[in-house]
Amino acid sequence: MRYVRAALARLAGVFAGHRADDDLRDELQSHLEMETAENIRRGMHPDEARRRALLGSGGLTQAVEAIRDQRGLPWVEGIAADIRYAVRALSHSRAFSVVVLVTLALGIGANTAIFSVVRGVLLKPLPHRDGDRLIYLRQSADGDERANLTFSVPEVREFRAGVPSLGGIAEYSSWFGTLQGDNVAVRMDMGLVTGNFFEVMGLAPVLGRVTEPSDDGIGVPPVMVLTHEFWIRRFGGDSAVVGKQVRLDGNSVTVIGVLQPAPFFPDRVDALLNMVVSPHHTSAFMVQNRSHRMTEMIARLAPGATMAQARSEVAAVYGRMLREHTEAYDAGSHPRVAVIPFKEALGERARPTLWLLMGAAAFVLIISAANVANLTLMRGVRREHELVVRAALGAGVSRLRRLLLVENLVLTLLGAVLGVVIAIGGVRLLTSFVARTSARASEIRLDGMVLGFTLALSVALALLLSLVASLPKEGTFASMSAGARRITGNLSKHRLLRALVVAQIAVSVVLLAGAGLLTRTMIQLSQVDTGLRTEEVLTLPVPLLNPTRISPEADAASKQLYERMRSEIRALPGVIEVGVGSTMPLRTSQVALDVSAEGKALAVGEATPRADLRTAGPEYFRAAGITLLTGREFEITDQSGAAKVVIINQALVNRFFPGEDPIGKRIAWTGEVLKFTPFSGDWRTIVGVVGNTQDGGLDAEPQPVVFMPFAQEFAIGGGLVIRADSNVAALAGAATRIVRRIAPTIPIENVLTVAQIKDQSVAPRRLNAALVSAFGLLAVIIAAVGIAGVLAFSVSARTTELGIRMSLGADSGMVQRMILREGGVLLAMGLVLGVAGAVFAGRVIRGLLFGVAPHDPTTLIGVAAMMAAIGIGACWIPARRAARIDPAITMRG
Amino acid sequence: MAEKLDVQQGTLALMILKTLEVLGPLHGYGVCRRIEETSKHRLTLNYGTLYPALLKLEQEGFVTAAWGQSENNRRAKYYTLTAAGRRQLAREAREWHRTADLIAAFLAPRREAP
Repeated sequence: MRYVRAALARLAGVFAGHRADDDLRDELQSHLEMETAENIRRGMHPDEARRRALLGSGGLTQAVEAIRDQRGLPWVEGIAADIRYAVRALSHSRAFSVVVLVTLALGIGANTAIFSVVRGVLLKPLPHRDGDRLIYLRQSADGDERANLTFSVPEVREFRAGVPSLGGIAEYSSWFGTLQGDNVAVRMDMGLVTGNFFEVMGLAPVLGRVTEPSDDGIGVPPVMVLTHEFWIRRFGGDSAVVGKQVRLDGNSVTVIGVLQPAPFFPDRVDALLNMVVSPHHTSAFMVQNRSHRMTEMIARLAPGATMAQARSEVAAVYGRMLREHTEAYDAGSHPRVAVIPFKEALGERARPTLWLLMGAAAFVLIISAANVANLTLMRGVRREHELVVRAALGAGVSRLRRLLLVENLVLTLLGAVLGVVIAIGGVRLLTSFVARTSARASEIRLDGMVLGFTLALSVALALLLSLVASLPKEGTFASMSAGARRITGNLSKHRLLRALVVAQIAVSVVLLAGAGLLTRTMIQLSQVDTGLRTEEVLTLPVPLLNPTRISPEADAASKQLYERMRSEIRALPGVIEVGVGSTMPLRTSQVALDVSAEGKALAVGEATPRADLRTAGPEYFRAAGITLLTGREFEITDQSGAAKVVIINQALVNRFFPGEDPIGKRIAWTGEVLKFTPFSGDWRTIVGVVGNTQDGGLDAEPQPVVFMPFAQEFAIGGGLVIRADSNVAALAGAATRIVRRIAPTIPIENVLTVAQIKDQSVAPRRLNAALVSAFGLLAVIIAAVGIAGVLAFSVSARTTELGIRMSLGADSGMVQRMILREGGVLLAMGLVLGVAGAVFAGRVIRGLLFGVAPHDPTTLIGVAAMMAAIGIGACWIPARRAARIDPAITMRG
Repeated sequence: MAEKLDVQQGTLALMILKTLEVLGPLHGYGVCRRIEETSKHRLTLNYGTLYPALLKLEQEGFVTAAWGQSENNRRAKYYTLTAAGRRQLAREAREWHRTADLIAAFLAPRREAP
């Protein structure tokens, strides 16, 4: 109680101010007078009486100081004074403060923005209960590295029985359908899940309930759990939707609940349903066949189990499967199962880019910090006299250090505030960018944690900056001589300045080189030949045939509709050709199957060739602009019932018939999976070869493709390829209207021109390149300011020396060259270090490059030349100033 | 004049409180004189020691201060012991006696049986 009271009284004392001081002076005065009067009374002479009294007081000023310290909180007052002083000092050297503030704000802003994205997407705990114990299993094989084979139900069952360290294994199967509302049809992306899915995932409903094991199997009513996002977007967050029936592909499905917001993997989904909604998923086909893989596995570590246990148990079970079921695994392509923390799997597509940006931002911060350190050092040298005077007047080193720290804190904290403002804009931009590669983009926030990071960063910077400044030693009155004019600067401090400049140049070169490599990557990518002869092509996917209800009747009906759409769009003005096919060009096919060529046996251990399965009408290749290399295109005569023919692409020719004429040879679909498809394994005769197209993206190796005549097979997938003489994008509206009129219940999405599809491949790289280039540019500007500043400082510190040199016969050209040489040495060292660093950095970001080597000489030389030019430019200004020194004036001082 | 002593940390507050208890409301000069006299001038107090101590006691609520007229019509600030100050004085005096007894017993020249 007593301490609280005393503390409050002292706190109040901080603000007591002048009135309390007057009061105090009165009190001391009265004491003095009483003592003097007493002394006089004892017989002293009045002067002596007063002298004695003063002597006894022990110094009035000291007393006042001691009492003031007791009255308030001296350190608070000291810091308040320091802050006042810092603000005053900084507003005096305005140019210094502005440069430092802008530099810091940009550095801190970039780091804050990117850190908030990294945290939201990669670091933050998942919203799932004990999300760190969630595991994703991925089955993959050689070939396309990105391929995810997924699992079959028998495989899942074996893992469930044989891996005790996985406490629960849920099945998840990607699915899509059409939600029919009143006169609108919406495509829905869904996950078909087992009843234990939500328990394993640790997700709870915000409304209604989630599915349970009792929703598994056949003969149960189909139910749907909406994701939070879809519920808001489609139903406006209306809680009345729970319990309602919706029409999904002709089925009636009950909405039983709304899920808490959560990211999904591998796909973003609108709803999760029980398996019964798809007859296929509950069929014996699906449930019993080991090769029928369309299930993702998500598991939860059992209590007490470790990741390592799970890995070894999964490997053991999988090894047994490979031995016991050789027919279901292609040993030649080395199948394997990876056990990955779910959080990592969620972040894996965004991770490389984010670390790239984080690295670039960190570099920018390093450069800005170096610049601020430089400016502080230079200012410190100019202020040396002031500090020495302060020390001589009794300020201890710790007091001076505190003063500097407060100044630096004022700077960095102001920088942080501006930085956060910049970051708010940056986060918005980055979020829309990251949303393409991460399901967690909605979790990105500039929250307390991020602001804490920013605060910690600025305080750390301020501490660092306070340490580089050197202070006069305590009680060194001798250094009062520092008040005398300096002939040259302090060498040790200059060395630190120079090292910082070299570091700035080196880091700038690294950033610029990264920017150069990424820009070249983007250019290389946009110049990749797509395999289509023209960009005036519009793709219009129209999935008429419901994959769960394939029948000859439905197929025939849908083919008639396609023909009507084709001929009506063909009649639109400007249209040159319209083709129909299962899959749009430059898009991956939903179906890839094992394929074999007649008379070509596989070597032992050789991976079974796979090819994309596509169908195409006679006009498809002409409409898409795909080059026919040999043979013929499909004809009207390639009807169902006619001889089975195929057209293959160059990639498949290279695989099967290198150096041979493939026309007339026969190939057939094969493999375990074939029996789950509506396609036959008959021999088909090759009638034509077409060029490769970049279906997997511009940076992917073209995959082998087999085209079958649209008329001879079921119309799976389905869509129209439209070629126009010019401005094909303008046709999108008219073409979509025709399709809508003919097939009103089919959702039309992704109507894109070839140029747009291409851009989807290039856009992320463009943003990479743009962001890193922006950082690089920023770095160069800051570094240029750094070089110019340090040289200018060096010139001003050496004015007297230069004056002496000139009066001894050096001409202005020599002086100019001397200063340029001084800058040139720093520049050269920075360039050498920077190029070495750039080669290393190029290796680190190799995965993000395309069509350019990590040590690409053109880029490195270009970047070095650019940096050299900027550096020399920055040296020029102070060198010119040095040359204009008038020896007469400087010598006279 | 006897050897001068520094005022020991913590004991000055006790002396001030005791002085105020004995003499009633008093100004700083009076407190100073009283302490010096009581100590037979072995202690001298300068302003920088006395006034911060008085201020501290005021902040802790053991004394109150108010301007008043001195016996020979001078304006002076008078310090008065509060009830809390009285309790504090009793408490500190008790503790001081205990400590003094302990130290005295400790320093007494006495040989213990082996």
